[in-house]
Amino acid sequence: MSYKIQQRWVIFSFLFVPVSLLLLFLVYPTLQLFHYSFTNWDGYSSSKSYIGLDNYKQVLFEMPDAWKSIGNNGLYFVIHTLFIPLELMVAVLLNRSIRGSSLFRFTILMPYVVNGVAVAYMFSYIYYPINGPLNSLLTSVGLESWIHGWLSDLKLVNFSLVAVSLWRYCGVHVILFLAGLQSIPQDLYEAAAIDGAGFWRKQLYITLPGIRRVVEIILFMNVTGALLQFDIPFVMTGGGPGVSSSTFGLFSLFTAFKFNNFGLASAMAVVLLCLIIVFSSIQNWIIKDRSGN
Amino acid sequence: MNGWKRNLPGKAVYYFMFVLIVVIVFVPIALVVFGAFKTRTELFETAPFSLPGSFLNMSNFKLAYEQGDMLRGLWNTTVIVTLTLMGNAILGTMTAYILNRFQFRMKKAVYALFLMAMIIPAYTTEIARFQIIHSIGMYDSLSAPISIYIGTDIMQIYIYMQFLEKISNQLDESAMLDGASYGRIFRSIIFPLLLPATATLAILKSVTVMNDVYVPFLYMPSNELVTLSTALMKFVGARGSDLSALCAGIVLVLIPSTAVYVVFQRYIFKGLMDGAVKG
Repeated sequence: MSYKIQQRWVIFSFLFVPVSLLLLFLVYPTLQLFHYSFTNWDGYSSSKSYIGLDNYKQVLFEMPDAWKSIGNNGLYFVIHTLFIPLELMVAVLLNRSIRGSSLFRFTILMPYVVNGVAVAYMFSYIYYPINGPLNSLLTSVGLESWIHGWLSDLKLVNFSLVAVSLWRYCGVHVILFLAGLQSIPQDLYEAAAIDGAGFWRKQLYITLPGIRRVVEIILFMNVTGALLQFDIPFVMTGGGPGVSSSTFGLFSLFTAFKFNNFGLASAMAVVLLCLIIVFSSIQNWIIKDRSGN
Repeated sequence: MNGWKRNLPGKAVYYFMFVLIVVIVFVPIALVVFGAFKTRTELFETAPFSLPGSFLNMSNFKLAYEQGDMLRGLWNTTVIVTLTLMGNAILGTMTAYILNRFQFRMKKAVYALFLMAMIIPAYTTEIARFQIIHSIGMYDSLSAPISIYIGTDIMQIYIYMQFLEKISNQLDESAMLDGASYGRIFRSIIFPLLLPATATLAILKSVTVMNDVYVPFLYMPSNELVTLSTALMKFVGARGSDLSALCAGIVLVLIPSTAVYVVFQRYIFKGLMDGAVKG
């Protein structure tokens, strides 16, 4: 076989399976999602009728529960974002090889690596109202008045869940920051020191530009992570009490599979998809490199 | 920078933070371990922070292991992880090989397709994908999660392509002078040279697949098809009020992923860091 013909054959045969899988499980469902979002389909019957933009109107204007859920996603986003500077500081400290830093590294990534469902149940136990570890800790230090039903109090439940999310995801951000820091050549710092730059000036002019790419990745992970937050409320509260700790992803899943409204749930998923793209673009625009190189 | 090492307050901050983080990470885990060794009445009568009366009390583990169907969960999880990793490695290296080494008419379109797959976040299309899985008869079988993980999680292709850029084309060409076919070049040169990247990616991916709950929960409702995550959920659903059994179940599910972490931590760090800096 000549290499010319062989080349065509190899391109086709090597790409056939991956491309078909992608078309079947990703592209086609995405198109279908838009299609369903204009119908009133219930998920099983053979008929569905087109109802135009009604689903979108309903999501946007007539579903306070959906907005409550997306507000909860917002809470995950805001609190995680507030922790990002702290994560960077930890990474800067961790970047110096002091005794114990490999153990430190091991510890800090541990929550991200272990099973998420087990982690969620672990905190259900910690928050347990009667004789649970958190409440008995408060009792033993004389703070009985702080005792709460951490997962049943409408005002607290989301903060309790966000705390679990912080426990689980802060570490991986630190490790990614660390990767960025370690990719910066040391001689840049030495050159700056010769030019008389102090600690903060070095951070501002060498560290921050050097980790721009990692910052982009972390911010993207932060947006998608917050908007797709699912495991923790699903396992720990099922979105309750009521819908008070529901997230948008959880709520749309319930809309589809519990209330059999696939059309509406599809419209919600489209909204979610758009939100993720819009928010990531805004963030990328904010931290865009405007120095011209 | 070196001056900092002599800087005592800096060191104090470092060690303070070190201790704080160790406490935050390990105390919740320790509490669950303590709870798992306590009897049910012991758990209610003693403080959660106290050590269990005996670290030999295995009754909770026995209960969780038997009623929680943990062995089946571990087996199914292992099958899913293994097949996913194999599929990912083979298809990923093949795709990267084609996209890196060949010029062809549809290349831009294929490239755009993979880029699109990177942008669409997991789970958002699940409602529509569910119908497809259903209609091709994959619902409630191990093939559903495996094909979803293989087909849609394609981050590794970019890492493979970066590795390929560093592997000289001259290797391919000299093999072609010896009359090797493209398939043979892929098998004997490209795939083996990408193995280090595959190892790193595989470990990182096995963690993600092992810990996923969404896909197994949605697509595999049968009791025979539980993974570690869904087995724990079913166990808790059935015996949620028995806290010491819950603790034991949690510990059992934590063990496999912790073991993977302890053994392969170097690869996990490398995978995360390569992805962040080069990706």
